[in-house]
Amino acid sequence: MALPLSYSWRSLLARGSRTAFTVAVIALVVIATTLFWSLIGSLRRTLVSSGSPRNLVVMRKGATNDGSSQLSLDAYQAIRFFEGIAKDSEGNPLVSPELVVQPFFHTTSGARENVLVRGVDPVALLVHDEVKVREGRMIHPSSGEAVVGRVVAMRYQGASLGSLLRFGNADWRVVGILDSGGSSFESEVWVDPRELANNAKRPLPYSGFRIRVAPGADMDALARRIDDDPRWALEATREVDYYQQLTSSTRTLYIIVAGLAVLAGIGAMFGATNNMYAAVQARTSEIGTLRALGFSRAAILTAFLAESVMTAAFAFAIGAAISWLLAIAISAAMGGIGFASQTFTTNVVVLRVAPQDLLMPLALSLLIGIFGGLAPAAAAARLRPVDALRKA
Amino acid sequence: MKYLPLIWRNLGRNPLRSLLTAAAIALAIALVCILRTMPAGLDAVLASAAANTRISTHNEAGIVYSMPYAYLAKVRAVPGVVSAISWNWFGGAIDVTKGTEFPNFAVDPDGFAEVYADWGLDPKAFEDFRKYRDAALVGHTTLEKYRWKVGDVVTLQSTVFPVSLSFRIVGSIPTSTPSFYFQREYLAQALSAAGVPFDTTGMIWSRIDDPDRVAPVMRQIDEMFHNSEAITSTETEVSFVGNFFSGLRQLVTIIQIVAALVTLCIVFIAANTASMSIRERVGEIAILKAIGFRKQTIFSTLLAEAGLLALVAGIAGAATAWVLTKMLQHYASGGGPQLGPLTAFVVSNVILVQAIFIAFFIGILSGWVPALGASRRSVAQTLREVF
Amino acid sequence: MIDLVNVSRLYHRGADEIHALERVSLHVERQRFVALMGPSGSGKSTLLNVLAGLDRPNSGEVTVAGQRLNEMSEDQLAEFRAHTVGFVFQFFNLIPVLSALENVELPLLLTRLGKSERRQRAETALRVVGLSDRADHRPRELSGGEQQRVAIARSIVTDAELIVADEPTGDLDAKNAEEILSLLQTLRRDFGKTVVIVTHDPRAEKWVDEVIHLDKGVLLEKRPGGAARGAAGAAG
Repeated sequence: MALPLSYSWRSLLARGSRTAFTVAVIALVVIATTLFWSLIGSLRRTLVSSGSPRNLVVMRKGATNDGSSQLSLDAYQAIRFFEGIAKDSEGNPLVSPELVVQPFFHTTSGARENVLVRGVDPVALLVHDEVKVREGRMIHPSSGEAVVGRVVAMRYQGASLGSLLRFGNADWRVVGILDSGGSSFESEVWVDPRELANNAKRPLPYSGFRIRVAPGADMDALARRIDDDPRWALEATREVDYYQQLTSSTRTLYIIVAGLAVLAGIGAMFGATNNMYAAVQARTSEIGTLRALGFSRAAILTAFLAESVMTAAFAFAIGAAISWLLAIAISAAMGGIGFASQTFTTNVVVLRVAPQDLLMPLALSLLIGIFGGLAPAAAAARLRPVDALRKA
Repeated sequence: MKYLPLIWRNLGRNPLRSLLTAAAIALAIALVCILRTMPAGLDAVLASAAANTRISTHNEAGIVYSMPYAYLAKVRAVPGVVSAISWNWFGGAIDVTKGTEFPNFAVDPDGFAEVYADWGLDPKAFEDFRKYRDAALVGHTTLEKYRWKVGDVVTLQSTVFPVSLSFRIVGSIPTSTPSFYFQREYLAQALSAAGVPFDTTGMIWSRIDDPDRVAPVMRQIDEMFHNSEAITSTETEVSFVGNFFSGLRQLVTIIQIVAALVTLCIVFIAANTASMSIRERVGEIAILKAIGFRKQTIFSTLLAEAGLLALVAGIAGAATAWVLTKMLQHYASGGGPQLGPLTAFVVSNVILVQAIFIAFFIGILSGWVPALGASRRSVAQTLREVF
Repeated sequence: MIDLVNVSRLYHRGADEIHALERVSLHVERQRFVALMGPSGSGKSTLLNVLAGLDRPNSGEVTVAGQRLNEMSEDQLAEFRAHTVGFVFQFFNLIPVLSALENVELPLLLTRLGKSERRQRAETALRVVGLSDRADHRPRELSGGEQQRVAIARSIVTDAELIVADEPTGDLDAKNAEEILSLLQTLRRDFGKTVVIVTHDPRAEKWVDEVIHLDKGVLLEKRPGGAARGAAGAAG
């Protein structure tokens, strides 16, 4: 017969301070791991949520991102009439030509960061339909106006609604705030492309364009047609793939953090093992009594293992709750956290602990509980009733 | 100290427990060391930049805004400027699908040696750089990462210009910079063949003769271009690097928070073990006091026990950190623009020594309360309770 | 040697007040072997603690080997014990991580003696109790009786004048108990120590010079023990 869970639970409570120590150690490891993991997770979510599955990104062949591409005007004029491109209610193709420049901005705390400024025509809002003007309005062409992403408004000097935003040695009036559901567009500033080209002295007004594919059309065929066109050296990628690729550089970060988490986990595991051994030692006579009463070795093993896992699970719960609060506190204190992207512009990430961020720390805690308690539980199970009673 | 054998034996009383505690502390210390190398990498870059009289001039609007190449001649003419060269971002990639993995620039070879005299580069390398049109000087960390050697030929495809160029590596730069430099003229010729105009530059770097003249020279340069088409902003190299990596500061703060959490962990692990092992010995400690050992002696030997264990663990942890960072340097360094110098993972001796001290200090701190309590227990009371 | 005048000791266990000693007065001459006997809770251990300088009375005067203990600070008492008293307890006598020899050497760490001198004295003490061949053994490798003998060796290694033992034979069988009591008597006879033991073992009576009976913290009677009678008998 098995020992009831309440035995394990009550034993933990009986040695409150010892249990508390182990819980503290594991909880701290959970918090440390969760903070790092959700930092990367928040960055990934920002990038992954960017881009529409119905869009293509077209850039010069060989350019890996918006910022390093240039596009000729006739390429744009020709391609926008290709088959398979969606059209608006008036029959105009939904193709958004865009210019990307990365000027210096200054944060409210004085730091200098590159920000992605995108020169767009009004059609951009139709192609990037996840982007909405939340406050104010969209820019009028040739008016020296700008709309800024939600986090840009919070982070940089002069970026709030109605202010005069200075970049590129010129002043731009902020007439609207963009919201894109947390994607990287919220770290951007949108202006008129011709004004931007003039400001940055770019010969061609566009660095690439984004295409909304017509519903039911073959996206890959369209992409191939653009790639293969001999007149211009262009490359078309699915927009979601384009942003997905930008997350590839977070892989190194994931590896480093995962490695550190393993280190921390092993350390916490040793701490947990210590405690369990002490518990077994202290309860030797108790175990002897249980065995004498007829509880099997497996029952003892399970009971002690259950204690260890319960401790770890409890520690995980506490650690997760604290991490969640800590993330909010850090976000409030530091504002968004700036990550440099491959375009060398700043992706502002708001640190949040999302449920999926907790999966790895949960797994880590359970592993700590299981492996930390395994050896001591086995030692307890191995005690012969006679020896155990004699030691008392 | 004559009590050392007793202290050492007490640690051996429960070898498994001592071992597990030491291992846990060692791992935590290793973690703290690795975490601390990250901001240290950034500080090292800043420190090396602070030590010289190099200044940068760029368009005030941003580095992606260019300046006319003609500015270089004007900067060179400013009194106090020993030598000046220009940089143009090439954005070259080995594999276009992976993008640019290290910074690479087209620069002026004349004057390059003077501007970067502090690199400690072999003069012959500087000479070859001027002599051969397709020569390239590369940071040693980049050379090691791709297993290139001086004399190798490498090809980079630009992600900003429609050209692909082959270079001959003539020198390995001994500093921590990962950058790759080649001749501007080489790029100019290729662009001319492709029909692309090329008369701008992204940055101008100058060496100033006297540290005291740096500030006035910087002002003079900016005033010179104040009313021109491209307004400039000139700053010292350390200021430029600091600004460039300013975004990392926030990440560093988070790293430091995590390191503090891990340190707290160590306190708990050490304190738990100390209190467990001392609690078990109440009777024994009472006997020692009966024989005539004073409270202070009992207190200090118990404290020394906790400290000794933590110290040994700290040394093991520092050694582990050293090994792990060597591995990380090999596999994970150059973590892209996200992390920059944070992933240099150079663990300095300072960090290791500090870690050992931290461990020892934590051992003492965590053993304090249990040791104090044990030393103060009334002997008679203990004998009553235990017997 | 030992003079207690109107000594009282009361302590608290939880909410209860325990009157361990009630105005006890006692006089013990030098070089006597005395047994404190009585039922459980009689205060005999407390009395032993007080005269050994382990515990301070709430009232009364304690003078041992010419020193007034009730006025001493804790550190002074520790020093007193280090120089003047040797201890043998019922349990936990020996440090398990030290060998027998190292355990005997322990009190000498409190002196200024050098390492080799400490070694020498410890070896001598072990020889007295007949355990030279067990010098390197750890306590867990020794029998109960052997452990007590090592404790006795430790108690004499600093040349203490007063040896106190709390239930030294409590855990031992008859044969071992006799050996220990005989050894304690040797300390008095051949080494001139004053030995005070607490025991409820009636066999102890025939080895000691004096038996002091206590109950409920009060000294009931003092009468000569077997050794005194035997000496008197031998003399007479």
